[in-house]
Amino acid sequence: MEKSYTEKIQIHKANKLAGLHPATKFLVVILYSVCTFVLSSIKLTKIGLPLAIIPWFLVVLVLCAVSGAMKKCIKALKAVAFIALVIFLVQTFIVPGGEVLVRFGFIRICEKGLKTAISLSFLILNIAGIFVWFFQTTENKEIARALEESGLNYKATYVFISSLQMINVLSGNSKTIMNAQRARGVETEGNMLVRAKAFFPTLVPLVLGALIGSEERVLTLEARGFSMEGKKTHLFNLEKSGAEGTMKITAILVTVLIVIGRAALWIL
Amino acid sequence: MDIVMECKDVTYSYPLTKKPAIKNLNLKLERGKFYGVIGENGSGKTTLCALLRGFAPSFYKGELQGEVLLEGKNINEYGGEIAAKIGFVFQNPFTQISGIKDTVFEEVSYGLENFGVPAEKIEKRVIDVMKMTNIETLAEKSPFELSGGQMQRVALASVIVLEPDILIIDEPTSQLDPEGTESVFSIIETLKEKKKTIILVEHKIDLIAEYADEVLVFKEGTMIAFRRKQEILSDLSFLEQGVTLPQVAILGRKLQERGLGLSAIPVTEKQAVEVIAEALQERNK
Amino acid sequence: MEGKKYSIKEDFSMLALLIIPVGVAVNFVGGQLASLLKLPMYLDAIGTIFASLLCGPWVGAVTGGLTNVVTGIANPVNFAFIPVNVIVGLVTGFLARRQMFQVWWKWIISILIMAAVSIVVSAPIVVLMFGGVTGGGTSIITAAAMAAGANIWAAFFGTEGVFTVLDRVISFLICWAVIKVIPARTLIKFGCGSNYIKEKK
Repeated sequence: MEKSYTEKIQIHKANKLAGLHPATKFLVVILYSVCTFVLSSIKLTKIGLPLAIIPWFLVVLVLCAVSGAMKKCIKALKAVAFIALVIFLVQTFIVPGGEVLVRFGFIRICEKGLKTAISLSFLILNIAGIFVWFFQTTENKEIARALEESGLNYKATYVFISSLQMINVLSGNSKTIMNAQRARGVETEGNMLVRAKAFFPTLVPLVLGALIGSEERVLTLEARGFSMEGKKTHLFNLEKSGAEGTMKITAILVTVLIVIGRAALWIL
Repeated sequence: MDIVMECKDVTYSYPLTKKPAIKNLNLKLERGKFYGVIGENGSGKTTLCALLRGFAPSFYKGELQGEVLLEGKNINEYGGEIAAKIGFVFQNPFTQISGIKDTVFEEVSYGLENFGVPAEKIEKRVIDVMKMTNIETLAEKSPFELSGGQMQRVALASVIVLEPDILIIDEPTSQLDPEGTESVFSIIETLKEKKKTIILVEHKIDLIAEYADEVLVFKEGTMIAFRRKQEILSDLSFLEQGVTLPQVAILGRKLQERGLGLSAIPVTEKQAVEVIAEALQERNK
Repeated sequence: MEGKKYSIKEDFSMLALLIIPVGVAVNFVGGQLASLLKLPMYLDAIGTIFASLLCGPWVGAVTGGLTNVVTGIANPVNFAFIPVNVIVGLVTGFLARRQMFQVWWKWIISILIMAAVSIVVSAPIVVLMFGGVTGGGTSIITAAAMAAGANIWAAFFGTEGVFTVLDRVISFLICWAVIKVIPARTLIKFGCGSNYIKEKK
């Protein structure tokens, strides 16, 4: 039987992990971050390096793989990894402090630097990483609907979704405007002053156009009953994948174990 | 007479302007009639639309004297639900998409969602309206990927689906190509057949001649005439008031001046053919 | 000009709600353009400043914060800087309400305040969360300064200081240019818009 339009606009995910309700996924994100912090306080080796968070990052990678979103996640993780790498290198090789551990010629690695390097870079990798998993397995439409479900005012949801959409629209417009300006002789290569000057003729028309459009859009929204009081209908609804319960229990169990384990180590 | 909207002694000025955009307007609009609004740019036509829809002064600010009534009640006593009583469509197709829906189907449903119409009913209503406005083939496309004419049809659909009795349409085709214009006008024709009350502002006088029952003429903020279409569009004195008249009307008058007796001054092509053929037959007898 | 009473509810009028997405998108595009033109500034607060100037501090704050939430979806590191952009919005908005941009010397003070606040709020975030370096434009200079032995805090403030001031100046000029061109009857629809209308005598 032909699907109705309402059915067609729903999102169905085959993968149980990727298809988890966003609220469950968010719980995982929070608990994972808590565990990361707890694990980072475990000092190993005689200089007290927080090595535990390094293998913990594998959990993010495993989640991404099992959710079937490995490619997307790796792509997004590249940016995060770059920042983590920069921090790692800067802290290890450049920042002084504490005992010198290794020396090759004029490059030195200091104790404090190495500690901070591992701690900061892997904290970032882990936490940003779990957020990457969340966002790469959840579409914007689902995030918006989840926010609404949990009580966010429909006007706020509008602002959220509209922002995402506006970025695409204005991004496209800016390319058009910049090409048009280039054709009129605005230089975009050269010294910094020249490049800075090219900024204005692109951005000013862009902002102006968007502003005037907004004025009219208020009328459009009014004409669609935006300021109506009363309960709204939602054609798009979130589906549960069925694995919510299992996931929640697993996540909570793991967190509890880690916290207890850490407390135990501390006491011994 | 079933008066659905009324303006009583309305004078309105936009903020920071000294000259009123509309002066001393007294107007009664009957349910089910098609009103065409013509006049030069800046004569107050768009202001009229804003007043009738309640956007002036609530959104535009400015000063209003007199009253605008919808079904006997002052229009500012209505809240957001006025969208179900009066539909509003204007020139720019691009600013009439909500910006938050990915498909045309959802875009058209948006108004119904806001009104809290049950989900089961929404689909049927939307499909019916999409058929009527000839956009069913676009149902799963993104509103951002449409042509101007298509967007304008979606805008019309999104408003019609709320089933308002009154529709205010302000120059819907001024930014469209001829094909887009035609598609919009066939929708307006369907609306007329459904006996909606329509207030249409247009420069394309031949189209007003085709569909309107009565015509309002504006000049410099004042309504200088409000009569049946036939009377206004065949009256060449309006040419001096900055109004364009249908070419067939001008032709008709000129023929009359040269001695060809016409039974009536035509305002549409069809009428012109009938009336001139009749006159020629008479002559050849 | 007499003191005007503002209410948060009025600030968030329908038009303000529609300006927020525009502000967020302008922030994004500004940043994109700046990196495309290889300028050593972020220029990613133009939309926030614009929203603050027209609609007040709270709308500006939401614009700023939301920008980081949205860009965080692609790169979660951006979440860390939500407070910075929120503060930019608040400060700009409050300065605008007190007409601190109307006279040239007040304008200079305001720009300095905006830049200073922005640096002061981002400094702890960059230093504590990222060890002073995020890999962005000025970070290389900061890193070099740190290598030379300078204290993290000093290195950060030195480099960020100059470029942030420049950033705010350019951002502000763009907003000003746009506001000048907006017709008065549009400006009046904005909460703070009437500040920018010159009375025609």
